[in-house]
Amino acid sequence: MTMTADRVITERPEMTTILRVARKELRSSVTSRWFWMWVLAFVGLALILVLVALPSTRIGGQAGFGRTAASLVTLVQIIVPLMALTLGALSIAAQRETGALRFLMSHPISRTEAFWGLYLGNSAVLAVATTAGFGAAGVLTISRGVTDGTATFAWIAFASWLLAMAMLGIGMLISTFAKRSSAALGVAVFVWLILVFIGDLGVMGTAAATNMPVSVLFFTALANPVEAFRLLALTAFAGSLDALGPAGVYAVDTLGDNLDLSLLIVLLLWLALPVLAAWQRFRGKADL
Amino acid sequence: MRRITLFLVAILVVFPATSASGGEDLQAIIDAAEPGAVVVLQPGTYDGNVTIDKPLTLKGEGWPVIDGGGVGNVITVDAPDVTLTGLVIRNTGDSLDQENAGVNGLAPRVTVVNNRLENVLFGVYLRLGDGSYVADNVIGAMGDEVARRGDGIRLWESSGSTVERNVVEGGRDTVLWFSDDLVIRDNRISDGRYGLHFMYSDRAIVSGNELTRNSVGGFLMYSQDLVLTDNVISHNFGPSGYGIGLKDMDGLTATGNHVISNRVGIYLDNSPATPGVEHQIEGNLFAYNGVGIQFLPSVEGNTLSGNAFVDNAEQVGVQGSGVFDGNTWTVGETGNHWSDFAGYDATGDGRGDIAYRLEDLFSSLTDDHPELQFFDQTPASKAVDLAGQLFPAFRPRPKVEDTAPLIEMPEIPRPISIDASGSLLGTGLLALSLLATAVGLLFVARRPGRRLAP
Repeated sequence: MTMTADRVITERPEMTTILRVARKELRSSVTSRWFWMWVLAFVGLALILVLVALPSTRIGGQAGFGRTAASLVTLVQIIVPLMALTLGALSIAAQRETGALRFLMSHPISRTEAFWGLYLGNSAVLAVATTAGFGAAGVLTISRGVTDGTATFAWIAFASWLLAMAMLGIGMLISTFAKRSSAALGVAVFVWLILVFIGDLGVMGTAAATNMPVSVLFFTALANPVEAFRLLALTAFAGSLDALGPAGVYAVDTLGDNLDLSLLIVLLLWLALPVLAAWQRFRGKADL
Repeated sequence: MRRITLFLVAILVVFPATSASGGEDLQAIIDAAEPGAVVVLQPGTYDGNVTIDKPLTLKGEGWPVIDGGGVGNVITVDAPDVTLTGLVIRNTGDSLDQENAGVNGLAPRVTVVNNRLENVLFGVYLRLGDGSYVADNVIGAMGDEVARRGDGIRLWESSGSTVERNVVEGGRDTVLWFSDDLVIRDNRISDGRYGLHFMYSDRAIVSGNELTRNSVGGFLMYSQDLVLTDNVISHNFGPSGYGIGLKDMDGLTATGNHVISNRVGIYLDNSPATPGVEHQIEGNLFAYNGVGIQFLPSVEGNTLSGNAFVDNAEQVGVQGSGVFDGNTWTVGETGNHWSDFAGYDATGDGRGDIAYRLEDLFSSLTDDHPELQFFDQTPASKAVDLAGQLFPAFRPRPKVEDTAPLIEMPEIPRPISIDASGSLLGTGLLALSLLATAVGLLFVARRPGRRLAP
């Protein structure tokens, strides 16, 4: 061990320290039941979906991988935000409650190093869950003889991980504010409800009641990272957003070739801003 | 094909054949040939923009090229009973006003068999060509934006013609105007605007065609008594995005078609157009479309039975609100197969004991507010459907009521086999590397490492 008590904590965070915290975080996650519950739930649901979604041999593999991907996208929309938000919400709050955070900070490491270590560790946890889910689903799909759409599948797996990272950031932001882990968990579940259900339902209701122009509908919906992920995945496996009616056609007409890029930027903004805010909060005045 | 072979043999026996090789003046060769002669072209490149004004067979051996040089029509046929075969016909002009074509037919009984048409604005364009035969051609149209494209095959007042086994890629439409009693079969038409486009052409038989990746697979308009059987119509997307669109059609019979993965499987606009005319749509497969079959509200007189509706995001849609009645979903004891039928068959007669009713709350919302289709397949849309099931107060009037839904999917044999795409290796490697990433990260976590602190 190179790190000794007289190590001077500098303003410049060290990558090796961050990685060390990250690995510790990943290790403690892997030994927890929560982690295995999430991985098993995601992998299991993905496998069931593939079995159900794969077209029967009587119809032929014509709809193939795209169809499997479509079902997986709905699954990801529901389960990945829930997994990542709760993971993020518990990360700091729960460790604060058990005193693990104070123990961690008793080591000669800066708050910045501790924060990014926790973030990196948790994003590795999410990477395990998503790659395991998509990998297992992919193997099963191939074993059923469907082999088209490889690039699409890879892209959706990657986009799922991006979504997971964005949700992790939001979760950690909640965590830095929460006094207790139970409060953090409650807020995280509420945010999940808003992003996955209530937000869309609200836009739907408003649009139906007020004859909202499709442009407003599209951009309002786009503010939601879960929607940005869905549209990104949909452009990948459907080739366009035409299937989404007038608002989808509007999106294609307005953004054209920049559609994918715009969606990616929305997702990356949601990835960057909450986690940066959480870092500022943790570095500044968050209790240990 | 046999008909054509016999025809060729006959003229070979009767008439002397002339032979020419590349570089010669093709127009001069044609002018010098006797009416009814067989002119054999050897491999080489000939200048196009030629006119054939007498009955003649122009036969290529070893794929001679006739090059229009990017100006006008490549071959104009201005006499009946002309046969073109074994030719590579390329580089028409690009004038939509002049409708530049690879084969510009102006006379009856033109036979265009086994040619390759490359970089042509219009491919085979026959006017007043009754009794013509267009078969086994490969037509690649100019790939500009749709508004600047011509039609792969266009028949104009060419009744009694047959179009079969052609492969048409790109271009605008394969369009049939004012031509009755056509046979359109076993063609593969892809990546165009309207794969097939019928205008005022009655009593056609359309069978065994594969219409894929067009904006609309087939748009059938203002025509009567069309028989549509055993076609594969798939992956037609785009703002219109219909597998088959029907506008003011009368007397359609559609059976044995596979309508798969289109934005809308079949779209009915004022079809049948005449009160009292019935359309029979029987034994077709509608699978994985955005909407299986979509009606405008006033459409009536369609009888649908023995069809399979499998996992269409919306099985049956009605565009806009209004009364939607007058279509029949059950004939005697035969209804349709619905993949989302939640009933049972205790009597064991293969029919559901309760009726299939289509009453999704979300899809009736989108029928009234099309912009809400944006949320199709989201968790929120499923929540809306669930609310509709839980609270009868929200439940809409059923769009479809099928009193004898089929429990088993009816046997609808795949009309055409399609090559599988994609590579086993690529997908396999991807899936395995994803799994390896998961395992690798776990391994990193599990390996006893150095501690954080001494």
